[in-house]
Amino acid sequence: MLTKDERERYERQIMIRGFGQEGQGRLRQAKVFIAGAGGLGSPLATYLTAAGVGRIRIVDGDKVELSNLNRQVLHWTKDIGERKIDSATQKLRELNPEVKIEAIGEMITEANISQLVAGFDLIVDAMDNMPTRYILNKVAIEKGVPFFHGAVYGFEGRAMTVIPGKTACLRCVYRGVIPQEKFPVIGVTPAVIGCIQATEVIKYIVGIGQLLTNKLLVYDGLNIKFTEFKLKKDPNCEHCGKDSKK
Amino acid sequence: MSVRINLHPNLLQFTDDQAIVEVNGSTVGECLGELVKQFPQIKGGLFDKNGKLLNYVDVYVNHESSYPEELAKPVKDGDELHITLMIAGG
Repeated sequence: MLTKDERERYERQIMIRGFGQEGQGRLRQAKVFIAGAGGLGSPLATYLTAAGVGRIRIVDGDKVELSNLNRQVLHWTKDIGERKIDSATQKLRELNPEVKIEAIGEMITEANISQLVAGFDLIVDAMDNMPTRYILNKVAIEKGVPFFHGAVYGFEGRAMTVIPGKTACLRCVYRGVIPQEKFPVIGVTPAVIGCIQATEVIKYIVGIGQLLTNKLLVYDGLNIKFTEFKLKKDPNCEHCGKDSKK
Repeated sequence: MSVRINLHPNLLQFTDDQAIVEVNGSTVGECLGELVKQFPQIKGGLFDKNGKLLNYVDVYVNHESSYPEELAKPVKDGDELHITLMIAGG
């Protein structure tokens, strides 16, 4: 049962057909893990907080730098030098005090990931490198929780949603790595992709619409074009295939 | 057999900014071979020293992944290829 304040705060989304107070109640019950409080993490965390997800855990081990501010819109000039999780938590709590925001200032590794995601229903990828994405994908498969991937470069972005055991996973799509680099990016690109990921998360929790499963969505901001590539589960996938150690 | 190849933006530096290239070939490998003939400098952006596709290059045939056949995957007249490069920023 929603409170009077909740009914008022979320009035416009409760009005959406198929959403209703029941959908809002599902959001309030949800526990979402966001890996990264940078370019993708900023819009993701902002819109999931505004939408009323019950509990959000954000993990990021970095501090705010001047060169982050063109895209990482949760961090402002006054936050330079602060831990990103502190800067993000302060804004998110002010935006919606009803949401439980938990911030952890650690780098994600194979050793700590299982503990970090324990008790969370969904894992969202807002990272900036492939090795950590593979760690997230793998733990999502092992724990059977959905995984929401996003990545950006310049004006280009990509997104896909993984339902473990049912749909292609990130490792079915990508097998390699690229060297970690200082990549070009304009803030509007992670804004678009982060919002697509947040849309997927909300739809999954509420149980409406179609998900980006078995599809890789490619966004070309220079030409404002969206392309979908069809994906299939790889039976020999290192993470979700028949011989993987799930 | 005419096949259209759509190139990832990061490959356009090798093709004088040409984003779509028409080639002939009956497999993905033959099509990419003809692409390299037209634009020799693109070879290093697609293949390793042993002629294998780089592990961050993906080829889609009519919007479906060519993996695992990749270069051996057959194509037919009118097919459309997309060459994409992995991106990892966030």
